[in-house]
Amino acid sequence: MLLNRLKEIVGDKNVSNSASDICCYSSDASQVKGRPEYVVRPHNSEQVSKIVKLASENEIPVVARGAASGLAGGAVPVRGGIVLDVSGMDEIIDIDIDNLQVTIGPGVVHSRLNETLKPHGFFFPPDPGSTAMCTLAGLIANNGSGMRSVKYGTTKRYVLDLEVVLADGSIIRTGSRTLKMASGYDLTALMVGSEGTLGIITEAVLKIHPLPRARLVILLSFDSAEKAGGAVVRILSSGTIPSACEILDSTTISALKSYDPSLDIPDAGAILMVEVDGSEGAVSEASEMVKKVCEEIADDIRAARDEEESDRIWAARRIVGAAISRLDPLRNRVYVGEDVGVPIKKIPEMIENVHRISDEVGIPIMIYGHIGDGNLHTGMSIDMLSEEEWDKLHRAADLIYRKAIELGGTVSAEHGIGGARSDYMELEHPTSLPVMALIKKALDPKGILNPGKLGVDK
Amino acid sequence: MNSEDRRSILKCVHCGTCRAYCPVFNEYGWESTNARGRMLIAQQIDDDSDIDDSFRFSLDTCTTCGICEQMCPSGATPPDIVENARAAVVRKAGASKAQEKLKKDAVEWGNPLRESRQRLHWLESDEKEKLPDKCEYVYFAGCMTAYRYPEVARKTFDILKKFGVGVLKDEVCCGSPLLRTGSDASELIEHNLEQIKKSGAKTIITGCAGCYTTLKKDYPGELDVLHVSEFLEQKLDELDIKRLDISVSYHDPCHIGRAHGIYEAPRNVIRRICNLEEMDTHHENARCCGGGGGVRRSFSDLSQSLASKRLDEIPEKAELLVTSCPLCRSNLEMAAEDRELIDLIELLEKAIC
Repeated sequence: MLLNRLKEIVGDKNVSNSASDICCYSSDASQVKGRPEYVVRPHNSEQVSKIVKLASENEIPVVARGAASGLAGGAVPVRGGIVLDVSGMDEIIDIDIDNLQVTIGPGVVHSRLNETLKPHGFFFPPDPGSTAMCTLAGLIANNGSGMRSVKYGTTKRYVLDLEVVLADGSIIRTGSRTLKMASGYDLTALMVGSEGTLGIITEAVLKIHPLPRARLVILLSFDSAEKAGGAVVRILSSGTIPSACEILDSTTISALKSYDPSLDIPDAGAILMVEVDGSEGAVSEASEMVKKVCEEIADDIRAARDEEESDRIWAARRIVGAAISRLDPLRNRVYVGEDVGVPIKKIPEMIENVHRISDEVGIPIMIYGHIGDGNLHTGMSIDMLSEEEWDKLHRAADLIYRKAIELGGTVSAEHGIGGARSDYMELEHPTSLPVMALIKKALDPKGILNPGKLGVDK
Repeated sequence: MNSEDRRSILKCVHCGTCRAYCPVFNEYGWESTNARGRMLIAQQIDDDSDIDDSFRFSLDTCTTCGICEQMCPSGATPPDIVENARAAVVRKAGASKAQEKLKKDAVEWGNPLRESRQRLHWLESDEKEKLPDKCEYVYFAGCMTAYRYPEVARKTFDILKKFGVGVLKDEVCCGSPLLRTGSDASELIEHNLEQIKKSGAKTIITGCAGCYTTLKKDYPGELDVLHVSEFLEQKLDELDIKRLDISVSYHDPCHIGRAHGIYEAPRNVIRRICNLEEMDTHHENARCCGGGGGVRRSFSDLSQSLASKRLDEIPEKAELLVTSCPLCRSNLEMAAEDRELIDLIELLEKAIC
């Protein structure tokens, strides 16, 4: 019996098929649902390997899961099987400052890594809103990024080497501990963003970056989100690359203030939160440039008073996606259509279209997100007991996805495809999806690794 | 379940923020032991009439400390939902043997501790005779203080009576242990309400966080309830207090802190007496002692492990840990090896000339 075999591998206490665990491991923060048959909590790579071998023998799905803070159902077992909860594999194995890298277990929580690195004067730059709970393997498997990607890039830029358990249970290393590698196919890059469909990450070597000596947050107010989008194009084309460039529209500003009423943020049609970092001189020069190129179109420009205020602004910004639910007791945030990305120049057009879709479908849509890299988060909150509102929500999301693709963008800039957006993969990647499907077939011929995701195994 | 209750469950957007803060999840590591998991289970209980034992475990291991609610970006209220779900489990599948016994004891003995001593045993008999029939304020000692820390009840009343505060002649358990674990406490509540009516009191003063939240939240008619620290904070100038040359730390009980925002009153009392050094987590971020929500009674290992972690947060400079809830004190004392804990009232009593 499979249950006993699993218990032999990880011990009785680390396997469950109880009604409560089946219920609790059936979802993440998306609307994708799927019930597992077993939940297993391995504690090392060998255990993961044995579990995957067992699953392969029995041809049942294995779905890796970190904190399940994902917004696309990436960790949801839509075809049943075993959920592999790796959050207990949370050791920071090595901090190697001289070689600018760290080695971590898959379950290390993002914020913990940066708290550990801070005394060394270093950090791991990708900065997701879910820093307090998301695991690093989840971030890698989704190629997540967050607020500082406009300057520092996404997670893939920082992954040097991975230990991965393949679909037959074999354990491989994908890269090396060097900062550059030009030998062979880049399997590390292949695994990053593969959402557990090609292998299960059991260890990662990550490149780290020195902490900047100075940071400054500038708040710019505009009468419309479109104008704020125009300002972003101006800032970036001036040669200034901010370390963060976030947009908040008027509804988002209300949500932010509802979470932290003491925040001194102006009520405007939209705000840009621009952070510049580097040496004192570089920060001063960059902030002057931001002010100069935006003064014509911004209603107000002010810098955060001090680091404490900047930290509070970022802390509130990180959770604003969920905080929208606070605005109305009858409505809740539902994560669909929430993560499109478009080329920077197309940002104003995308914002304009989101507003048009909102009017057309008759559902309020708020806009926030990492506008500096073309990543817009659109937020919709509905009465979850109203079928009509669910219909509107899905209709609006569909129109948003299609418009982003039409503008040369993507349906997901950082949250991933999972089971929530797999229907759009063909539209976004008409020529490369068949190649992705071939890669999937080659590495996972039995289709046991996180099936039903990414549109690669329909 | 009505649509309002359903919506309150749906407020949880399953973002997983609670994973970072739930002390019980930190112990077990299973999703079914954090707030997000419990929200899913509450929904499942509403959808499905089959009540599995594992559902009870998930719900019953919650201390209802409320750190999840404090940190929840979407404004969900997991402690209320857990309590409602526990009640739904009892309605649908009946009470467990432990729950039945708890209720029987509380109703039969007037306290869940099966104490047969008179409720006011901590008062001298001549003092009992002198108690006024009517008074504006009454002191509600609660079961833990009356039977486990009678000296605290004694000292509290010694101070309060200077301000004309009386006691209920026949106080019984406030009902907290039953209500927190899904049982009905109407018999106890009715009895106490009758006693309060007879006393003529407009305001009830208690030194127990569990009694405070129950009297305030679960009793009908919006009683005027004060924690003893709130009352005494206003009377400090009338007490002859000498400064003590010690440093203490303060543990925020969840059920007066996060649940009702009482943070500064006990601190103001302490600061008047001596130096206060904060614990690593405090005010709205304070870690739970591990004793609340029925966890101490049903899951003593879990409860003690949580207590040990809380004790690890005492700053080195603090010679004593002060708290203002007998359940927190008792739970922390069980885990404390060489740490001294005292009630806020005992600290005050040391300082009164």
